[in-house]
Amino acid sequence: MLQLLKIEWLKIKKYPAFWWMLAIVALTYPGINYMFHSFYENIISRKDMAGNVAKFILGNPFAFPDAWHSVAYFSSFFVIVPALLIIMLVTNEYTYKTHRQNIIDGWSRNQFIHAKMMDVMIISIIVTVSYSVVAAVFGFYFSDAVHATRWAEELQYIVLFFLHTFAQLSWAFLLAFIFRKAFISLGVFVFYSIIIENIIKTYFRFKEWSSSEFLPLEISNRLLPMPNFLGKINAASNEAYKQALANINWHILYTIIITSAIWWLCYFLNKKRDL
Amino acid sequence: MQPTLSLQNISKNYGSIQALNNVSFDVPMGSVFGILGPNGSGKTTLLSIILDILNAPTGSFTWFGKKSSAESRKKIGSLLETPNFYHYLSATDNLQITQAISGRGNAADIDAVLETVNLLQRKKSKFSTYSLGMKQRLAIAGALLGNPDVLVLDEPTNGLDPVGIAEIRNLIKQLSEQGKTIIMASHLLDEVEKVCTHVAILKKGNLLVAGNVNEVLINEDIVEVSAADITLLENILQEYPSKTFLKKEDNIIQLYFPVGTANLTDINEYCFQRGVIINMLLQKKKSLETKFLEITSATNN
Repeated sequence: MLQLLKIEWLKIKKYPAFWWMLAIVALTYPGINYMFHSFYENIISRKDMAGNVAKFILGNPFAFPDAWHSVAYFSSFFVIVPALLIIMLVTNEYTYKTHRQNIIDGWSRNQFIHAKMMDVMIISIIVTVSYSVVAAVFGFYFSDAVHATRWAEELQYIVLFFLHTFAQLSWAFLLAFIFRKAFISLGVFVFYSIIIENIIKTYFRFKEWSSSEFLPLEISNRLLPMPNFLGKINAASNEAYKQALANINWHILYTIIITSAIWWLCYFLNKKRDL
Repeated sequence: MQPTLSLQNISKNYGSIQALNNVSFDVPMGSVFGILGPNGSGKTTLLSIILDILNAPTGSFTWFGKKSSAESRKKIGSLLETPNFYHYLSATDNLQITQAISGRGNAADIDAVLETVNLLQRKKSKFSTYSLGMKQRLAIAGALLGNPDVLVLDEPTNGLDPVGIAEIRNLIKQLSEQGKTIIMASHLLDEVEKVCTHVAILKKGNLLVAGNVNEVLINEDIVEVSAADITLLENILQEYPSKTFLKKEDNIIQLYFPVGTANLTDINEYCFQRGVIINMLLQKKKSLETKFLEITSATNN
């Protein structure tokens, strides 16, 4: 396993897109959170009654312990950045035909998929570490003395964020593995995640069917439900939020099942198909 | 002796196209085995199957007497179809990956093989900046890395200039002298004729013939004779016993004999006794090209 990792590192360490991805993650994660924080500051800094009400209702989503959840939610929008890198790393192998050379040189077909799964794992870890650092910095910076002591209360979001990232990057991997061409895979990934799945979700909502929670990306999206910014004044929203939190455990199970199925499919296809 | 590679009834089809049809042959240890065939005859498909890039729906093959595995591939230096490397990495970085996957060679060996293929000067340049010939040289370097006992080379001189072609030919001869087994696909018959000890000829996925070059390609002896009076020479040689056929080409008479029966001393003596002094007498191999065309066109009829 360590040997596979070493070989993947030889491939990645001089790949410019990898360093670009790190730089973009390092900028976008603090950036998007800072943007929402500024938005929040603008509302509560109003000296009138509305500002005070807003402060009372919203609390501070960037103070502990809510920071872990809020930062995870906002950062999860940018899973597309590491997904792009995964798609490039996989489709490069097909473009350069190095997927063949790796086998010719002595990897088994399974080892090729093991190695790629490790790439997905390592990039998920890097992204999760970036998220954790941003959440911790925001949390400590925006917490008062009382909130700061509650920093360890919602650490489960680190695990949920990792699982969410790994699941969605596995989906990106599957598309790249099947389509082999960078542009097609990227197009399908972006088109599906931004447009198709949302259309299906809206349609399901319109029909009042509940099964949209089983769509490939929605399964893991529900690991990080939208924080309950307005829950304190809206009983219905509060109820829905509590339900979403309660469902997280189920979605952990569903995410593990669908992600395992994706990898099983990749192993199976790679064994059967001509390279 | 255990063959290095043994194929049994390998078939492969792409939809309705039969790429390989029931192909079986053995590659003896230490041989330089040429796989010949026109374009689209199934050479690369065959090499892809023995390197586990393509699955063969029927048939089987063994490397070193055992079922093929990742471990057996590590012992084989291979170049298949095109040079496959990471475009953004240098020659050294790419060969480090080859080395790490195959376990063949070390850092010093990487420089040594780059020296062998004349790429040492450009070892730090990115693969994407290489010319076609340089890419091919790097692929050969990758196959040679760690001095493997078996080499599989698919059209190894593709994209090389005449000097490069001669260098690779010499390299193959040297490797063969060291006892390496070399399996080489090519449509350049001249190249194969100069280096191969064994051949297999494929056409439209069918194996036409396989075996030792001398058995497959030489089924008759040709003796060329010339003298000052070519007409007289022709007349007396018409009567020469044991020949199967006589052909006159300009000032040269070609005599054909069943394989292994031509006797140059006897021909010389025969002419001398009849008052004709020979000024040229040599035994010739039929060119591989002629033979190849004969074999492949015979199946058309």
